[in-house]
Amino acid sequence: MLNKPNSKKSLLVAIDRNRIFILFTIVFLFMALFAPRFFNVFNLTTIMRTSAMNATVAIGFTVILIIGQLDLSIGTIITFTAIIGLGLKEYIGFGGSIPVAIIAGGLIGLINGLLVAKAKINSFIVTLGMMTALQGAIYTFTGGNSVSLSTPDAFAVSDWLALMIFPLVTPRVIITLVLIAASAIFMKRTRIGRNFYMVGGNRQTAWLAGIDTDKYTIAAFIMSGVTAGIGGVLFAMESAAATLNMGNSSLMYVISAAIIGGTAMSGGKGGIFKTFVAILMLDVLYNGIILFGLGNEVKIFIAGIILASVVLYEAYVSYKHEKVIGQRPELMKELEVQNQA
Amino acid sequence: MEGTEVLEKKQQNSPGDDIRTTNYNILGKIFHGAGIYAVAALFLVAGIILQALGVINNFLTAQNMLNIVDAVSMLGIVAVGMAFVTYSGHYADMSVPTTMALTGIIAVQMLQYGFFPAIAAAVAAGLLIGLINAVAIGKFKANPIIWTLAVNYVTLGVIRLVWVNKQIYPDMIAKSQWASDVFDNIYRFRFFNKIGLPVVYMIILVILLNFIMKKTKFGQQLKITGAARKASEFSGVNVERVIGLSFVICALTATLGGLTVTSLSRVGAYYNGAGYDFKAVTAIVIGGMTLAGGRGSIIGVLGGVLIIGLMNNIMTLLGVGTFSQDMIRGIIFIVVVGINAKSLRTLGRDDA
Repeated sequence: MLNKPNSKKSLLVAIDRNRIFILFTIVFLFMALFAPRFFNVFNLTTIMRTSAMNATVAIGFTVILIIGQLDLSIGTIITFTAIIGLGLKEYIGFGGSIPVAIIAGGLIGLINGLLVAKAKINSFIVTLGMMTALQGAIYTFTGGNSVSLSTPDAFAVSDWLALMIFPLVTPRVIITLVLIAASAIFMKRTRIGRNFYMVGGNRQTAWLAGIDTDKYTIAAFIMSGVTAGIGGVLFAMESAAATLNMGNSSLMYVISAAIIGGTAMSGGKGGIFKTFVAILMLDVLYNGIILFGLGNEVKIFIAGIILASVVLYEAYVSYKHEKVIGQRPELMKELEVQNQA
Repeated sequence: MEGTEVLEKKQQNSPGDDIRTTNYNILGKIFHGAGIYAVAALFLVAGIILQALGVINNFLTAQNMLNIVDAVSMLGIVAVGMAFVTYSGHYADMSVPTTMALTGIIAVQMLQYGFFPAIAAAVAAGLLIGLINAVAIGKFKANPIIWTLAVNYVTLGVIRLVWVNKQIYPDMIAKSQWASDVFDNIYRFRFFNKIGLPVVYMIILVILLNFIMKKTKFGQQLKITGAARKASEFSGVNVERVIGLSFVICALTATLGGLTVTSLSRVGAYYNGAGYDFKAVTAIVIGGMTLAGGRGSIIGVLGGVLIIGLMNNIMTLLGVGTFSQDMIRGIIFIVVVGINAKSLRTLGRDDA
């Protein structure tokens, strides 16, 4: 860079890069100060628990966005795997049904990935078709009834998953946190993880650098299927029931969190940990809204406004940036001087 | 490097050969020639064969054909408008479902002042949403899917905040019997007791929008903008306005769709129009409009809509359950689009 970065600009960049942490702090402090019955161990534990499912699902979804694709089928994968996980328990026990469910999620991801990478169909179309097909499959297999378990051992597992070992922490939260930490480190610190960013940032360059872009695309879709599966199965096990629309709201939720967390739809940018913080922020916000005695409609409205403002802000920044691309400030200054003279 | 090897191999072919046509498959040829109507004819033939075999009854009757068109007419209204968004290279307008719900509920609420104020208010609301999308996506280049999803959510929030989960009924709101009757007839009026108004709207829209897309200056500018935005910008097209207009057109057809759906269900509620976003995308893409933008036609989209109608009709006559239909529809969707994309690629007409 020829012109020195001035300190004011770099501060703004730093704020922009870490905006999700700032946003989270603001929302959290606001709720802690003003929302009744917000700041106590039980409520905060509840927030951690409710965020666990979407936080798990968001891992794979963030990777999908980083590689520059889109996966609309995560919501139905959640429901599908949850129903398999609970439905097969009768026959092969949790020890068998959970791996089967997670593998099923992975297989769906594999099909998505193959269609996107090898058949070269746009991921928007592939996952939209997969969403429709899975939705039909779910209703066909269950006959429209939700699956629930009422045996003592299922309740025991359910209770154990929701057990508060430490303040804020239940076994399911621990599983989620471990998964997030592991995949965040994998994406940021390993060569394979960094390659995902490279493929998303510029597919052509990545291919020329010797990266098998198809393989990474397929891997990202498998990751998305597997994490959606883990999220769905664990949520179903904790509540000992799987309803047929349990995953429906997750798609919007996870997309919002990923975008607010700074992951770009165009690929190559973002991080799993930031998405996680964004999920926590949304959950804190929703929890606070309910504690204020406001209804679901306020929640929907505010969620929409936040997502819209973030998208508009990002678009505006790049709009401004594009305007000055190719302009050289020192020449502009000369021009100004000439004009004055 | 793999790329250059392939290139060298291709150059070794005798110079007269057009390397693009060597991989011409039959399916690609059919797609290239008759477009999506080849697939529609395929479904029609399948239906006729099934009827000849005695598996299904009453397929090839005038009434059934009318029913097919009638069943997909509202989807057609929404899809031909959204096709402009796809054509401009901006995937889809996900704010369509709540645009439909909002315009419908506003129209019902305003029926107390008469029929025409109700329609005017609905169109104004639709126009507003279209303009918001136009500014955000056309001017500031916000990501179309995420932005319209956010708008969808905000609009849903507005509906639920204002009407607090209430459903409102046109016959209870309207002060005059006439206004309520006319509103009812937006969907229910039948020409010769057979052809429903929604079908007429759809046909008029197809003719009008096809003219706009193929014959007007705006349509030509939209085509080049969708295919290559930068090139369009450099050749002096007002890209921002062109893209914005496509979103406005989409919002206006969604308004018409919303009024029709509300008239059909006789209730203004936030869930009117749910699912129309994905259904419309399915129809558009099956109709041969690629998500890359600038390719396809309104006539093709109409073909996509009709195929969905035929498919649903045959499956229902076969006794396939609603949910199994979803499954089959999803698979057929991917397969048809996959074949289409592949044939375009082998023809060298698509680099996606």
